[in-house]
Amino acid sequence: MSIFYFIAFLSILFAVLVITAKNPVHSVLYLILTFFTITIHYILLNAQFLAIVNFIVYMGAIMVLFLFVLMLLNLNVESEPVKSNIVKFAGVIGGCCLLATLFGTLKLAATSSPVVLQDQGLGLVKNLGKVLFKEFLLPFEISSILLLSAMVGAVLLAKRERQPDGKVF
Amino acid sequence: MNTLIVISVLPIVLLYLGLYKAKNALLPVTIVGLLVALGLAVSQWNVDAQPIFSGMMLFDKYAIAFSSISILSTILILALSKEYFERISSHVAEYYAVILFALAGIIVMVSYHNLSMLFIGIEIMSVSLYILAGIKKTDFASNEAALKYFLMGAFSTGFLLFGITLIYGSSGSFDLDVIRDWALTHTAKTVDPMFYTGIMLMIVGLCFKVGAAPFHFWTPDVYEGSPTLITAFMSTTVKTAGFAAFLRLFSTCFASLADLWTPTLMVITVITLCVGNVTALYQQSFKRMLAFSSISHAGYLLFAIVALGINSGNSVFVYATAYTVASIIAFAVLILVQQQSGNDNFESFNGLGKRNPFLAFVLTVAMLSLAGIPLTAGFMGKFFMFGGAVAKMQIWMVIIAVINAIVSIYYYFKVIIAIYFRDAERAELVAPGYVNVVLGLSVVITLVIGVYPNLISNLIP
Repeated sequence: MSIFYFIAFLSILFAVLVITAKNPVHSVLYLILTFFTITIHYILLNAQFLAIVNFIVYMGAIMVLFLFVLMLLNLNVESEPVKSNIVKFAGVIGGCCLLATLFGTLKLAATSSPVVLQDQGLGLVKNLGKVLFKEFLLPFEISSILLLSAMVGAVLLAKRERQPDGKVF
Repeated sequence: MNTLIVISVLPIVLLYLGLYKAKNALLPVTIVGLLVALGLAVSQWNVDAQPIFSGMMLFDKYAIAFSSISILSTILILALSKEYFERISSHVAEYYAVILFALAGIIVMVSYHNLSMLFIGIEIMSVSLYILAGIKKTDFASNEAALKYFLMGAFSTGFLLFGITLIYGSSGSFDLDVIRDWALTHTAKTVDPMFYTGIMLMIVGLCFKVGAAPFHFWTPDVYEGSPTLITAFMSTTVKTAGFAAFLRLFSTCFASLADLWTPTLMVITVITLCVGNVTALYQQSFKRMLAFSSISHAGYLLFAIVALGINSGNSVFVYATAYTVASIIAFAVLILVQQQSGNDNFESFNGLGKRNPFLAFVLTVAMLSLAGIPLTAGFMGKFFMFGGAVAKMQIWMVIIAVINAIVSIYYYFKVIIAIYFRDAERAELVAPGYVNVVLGLSVVITLVIGVYPNLISNLIP
């Protein structure tokens, strides 16, 4: 239990740092740390697969992509466009809607009966593998066509072409 | 299943043929392979189909009928592709391969028995189409089409997936039979809000894919920007498959809850009909007119789902066949005209009747079929659609649809007038032999179905 509270504290701390950091790159780095703490939460909940996916896809792929985009955009204080009043107004409305929703939800919140898992090992990679190679074998195999098609297409679109007149574009 | 295997292995064979520079073998191998796949599909006709692979796929008569029409229309379109792709670039083998990958996705889409298969099928088809839309790399319109299609398509996939998730959340299964049984134990009053939201989100996702208004904004730009042959593939085979998947889901799973979703779909149908037809009136470009007319045809096809009944499958099949064949003619003639005049405006068709009587005749038949004039397949398609709607007492919807059909005659006849009554100095179009074969075959199919619709109208039980 004490690990949970420690990790939960860290998640909230990093999440707050994401929105308070002045430098966007720092902000993204804190976001990566937030996702990392969430990965640990998944492991604590015995959800191995979700933890791995969260680690590889969110922390690894998506956040690195974010970082690259930010670095390419070269955002800093001087180049940041001044937001017009309408945008600010829209932001206020959006924020108030979210606040109202949150408030309404909290008012309705009650202690629900805890969901008891039928199978304690539901989130284990072993079980997932068994399902994937038994009931979901066909979709799993057919996904290979999707990946192959995307791969062929990506190469096709990215490759240089040689025109009949010898020009390369 | 064998059909799917053949169509999945065929593109890999083609990629190898491309690797060894066997350019001339590509088209014959593709067509022979597709004919084998078609034969394997039809040979399953009398087999009593059961769900296979733990209920993932059900290759029943419905699936066989729609697989066959998809394979046939792909063969017709690929037969037009001789020397077409060579002009775009030298990677011809890859183009054939990607088209066949899309066809494999379509086979999955028409034969799924599990929502995960539906999703994978739609994704295989869509990803291949995003690529095909952008194969003219130096053409700005083609780049725009590919990017727009990709962004919009990815967005709509999100809706579809969210819908599938909510339906899984309330019914506890992806299997169509289990979802149907769950829906049977609930009435429109007692159904879970989550399930209801799931159905709505799936309608949004699928309407995006078939290009029904108000989710049609990608259609005109994508259809206009893509290479014409790919547009032909998108507006015929892909649209047919989209409706087959749509109808399979709704007739199998949600038929007992029709009161819930019929009003939504009715509004979508009426908007689709009106938007498609009215916007098509103002088009100057033939290709863009066909794009809007394909939106309006999506509206007619939606009738089968709004007025869900035992004959819905058959009416979608007849309508889709008629629409597919007529569109293939229109796009084939458009490709020839485009090559000569360099643009696709209505003026480019001026004087076609004098110089190329055969082309003029087949295009006229195609336009009459699209407009739904009797003795053509298009009339029979509309007849079955409206008949189904009248049987369900949706008279006012049929009235709106008939008014729209009358409006559509105006823009289809604009082409016929340009062909026969506007004169222009032009050289004769040289149509290669294989194009004439495709055109001739399509016209024969259009007229035969127009006169003897019973040949195909009772296939699906």
